Amino acid sequence: MNTILSIVPIQYYIILSAILFSIGVMGVLTRSNAIIIFMSVEIMLNSVNLLLAAFSTYHNDAAGQIFVFFIMAVAAAEVAVGLAIIVMIYRNINTIDIYNLNKLKG
Amino acid sequence: MNVVIALTITGILNLFGSIFSYRKITPLLSIIGLTTAIVFNSMYWNTNQSFFNHMMVVDNYAVAFGTVCMVLAACLIIFYNRFMGDNDHHLPEVLSVIVLSVDGAIVMVSYTNLLMLFLGVEILSISFYILAGLKKKDLGSNEAAIKYFLMGAFSTGFLLLGITLIYGATASFDLSVISEYVKLNSTSTNYLLLSGVLLILVGLLFKVAAAPFHFWTPDVYQGAPTIITAFFATVGKIASFGAFYRLFQMCFSPIVNEWSGVIMVVAIITMFIGNITALQQKNLKRMFAYSSIAHAGYMLLALLSHDYLGGNAILFYSIAYGISSMSAFIIIHIIQTQTGTDEAMGFAGLVHKNKTLAMITAISMLSLSGIPLTAGFFGKFYLFSSAIESGYVLLVCLAVINSFIGIYYYFKPVIESYFKDSITDDVIKLKSVETILLIFLSIATILLGIFPGLVPAI
Amino acid sequence: MGNVSLIVLMACGIGFCGLAQLVSKLIAPSSKNLQKLQAYECGVPTIGASWIQFNVGYYLFALIFLVFDVELMFLFPWAVVNKEMGITAFIEIVVFIFILFLGLLYAWKKGALKWM
Repeated sequence: MNTILSIVPIQYYIILSAILFSIGVMGVLTRSNAIIIFMSVEIMLNSVNLLLAAFSTYHNDAAGQIFVFFIMAVAAAEVAVGLAIIVMIYRNINTIDIYNLNKLKG
Repeated sequence: MNVVIALTITGILNLFGSIFSYRKITPLLSIIGLTTAIVFNSMYWNTNQSFFNHMMVVDNYAVAFGTVCMVLAACLIIFYNRFMGDNDHHLPEVLSVIVLSVDGAIVMVSYTNLLMLFLGVEILSISFYILAGLKKKDLGSNEAAIKYFLMGAFSTGFLLLGITLIYGATASFDLSVISEYVKLNSTSTNYLLLSGVLLILVGLLFKVAAAPFHFWTPDVYQGAPTIITAFFATVGKIASFGAFYRLFQMCFSPIVNEWSGVIMVVAIITMFIGNITALQQKNLKRMFAYSSIAHAGYMLLALLSHDYLGGNAILFYSIAYGISSMSAFIIIHIIQTQTGTDEAMGFAGLVHKNKTLAMITAISMLSLSGIPLTAGFFGKFYLFSSAIESGYVLLVCLAVINSFIGIYYYFKPVIESYFKDSITDDVIKLKSVETILLIFLSIATILLGIFPGLVPAI
Repeated sequence: MGNVSLIVLMACGIGFCGLAQLVSKLIAPSSKNLQKLQAYECGVPTIGASWIQFNVGYYLFALIFLVFDVELMFLFPWAVVNKEMGITAFIEIVVFIFILFLGLLYAWKKGALKWM
């Protein structure tokens, strides 16, 4: 494991994660399909997972990898709730484009 | 730790209420469970025990905030059962989700490890996404759920990236290790740590609905069922601020100069946006959503204080705000079911319909706007004095100006209910439990306004 | 083990597979008819277009599977430390699985596992 980190410095992992995270943020901000927004959020979370695993190896500390497990489990719970919400909306308005949801205004 | 275990068992027992056909007693079961948890919780006062391999520590701060959250949740369950109990097919499940979300709130105010912060935030938020979409056929509720969900998941990403960068800098998730590291390195600039702190700040500002991260709040508060909105506005906000203050006071106070500027700007923007936008709202739920944004702005002032004054101030403010906000939303719910509108004109002539209700409206509005002899006054007083002692005089001046703006819109429902004529003269009848509970909340507001020493120092 | 041996291993693997295919093509008797071209043990042939909306039951199963599948990931760290921590860790993991089981029981009793 340490050989990998001696070949690829930790900065590269930080940069890669930052790029992935930014892709996710851009996806959330620009797309209108709820499922795609959702996938972008998952990209954000997975970029964090990657960075956690890299830091965990870098510091020789297992806590980071355990944190990854928790993120994955919580993300799965979030996906379950989120998809249920999306299915509920689809049954009511037959679309998942969030621009059609503009009933609440002030 | 007994509190978390008691709440979890209560939640699971509730869940099976509809299957093993004891759904009638699930409200009673939740109240008993919450009461047990409150008793367990108060037994931890002054003990400072740590649990789960130093994942959580129950100090006085945790006990106080936990008790506030649980008492508010118990009030909410009583009202929920009263208003929805008979025609709600999912009563056991809803109660289960509410009780389990309180579990998240407990974790959020007593963590000593960033992992527990993340878990607490997520337990609370995921429950809230479900609760926001309770009315499955109602498009407003649907919209609230999806907006809350997408924004919540988005902000979780920022929180997590912040936690990760701090882990990268300090090699630990433990708050004591992190605070040692920050103390040792407070003079040198560590970009990994600083960007981590700022990203956590962004994530938590999303959760407490501070501007410019507040866009979801009005829609979610308006779309969700009113009684659930009461839950979001009280327990959600109080737990988030509990977590927020704990993290920044315990870990990042040595580098306060690095982030105090951000908090100052955010606090000013939040107060002004919240109050000024609330002035223009017709819908009361939306108005209270903006007012809760403004309250988040006031509470941010406590984060800037250098000593433990801030903790006491934020606790007192949470209690005052929680009680008044809860009764305000409950009254809106009662009016909404009676007149079918959630706009201010629904309150017209309330004094002729039900004198007690009009009185309680007036007291909670006075408290929310911070008039003396109510709890809200001392809440603001403590907050502002803690900020002044830390040298933020200009900020406090702006906050006082905002409090005066707030008085204008808080008096709208009061004026409607006392000086306008109602369209119909139907008398609003309340069941005795509801009246007793509302009166109890009002008495607590006034008692705390006269004897603020009733809230113990933490 | 250097890079060269890895490449040799890969080349051997690919070569062996390719050789087996080639030999079977050359020496096996071949006959083509309609039955032979049908999908074999891969389910029934589709009726109509396959880009239709799926039954909502699939989503229900997918959601339940998703949650239980990922939660069991926590068994791995437990398995790593089980020997050192002994009976405490064992009781804790039993409690964890029991709570998961309660979730499954709820889904089962609610009829989420029944095919509609």
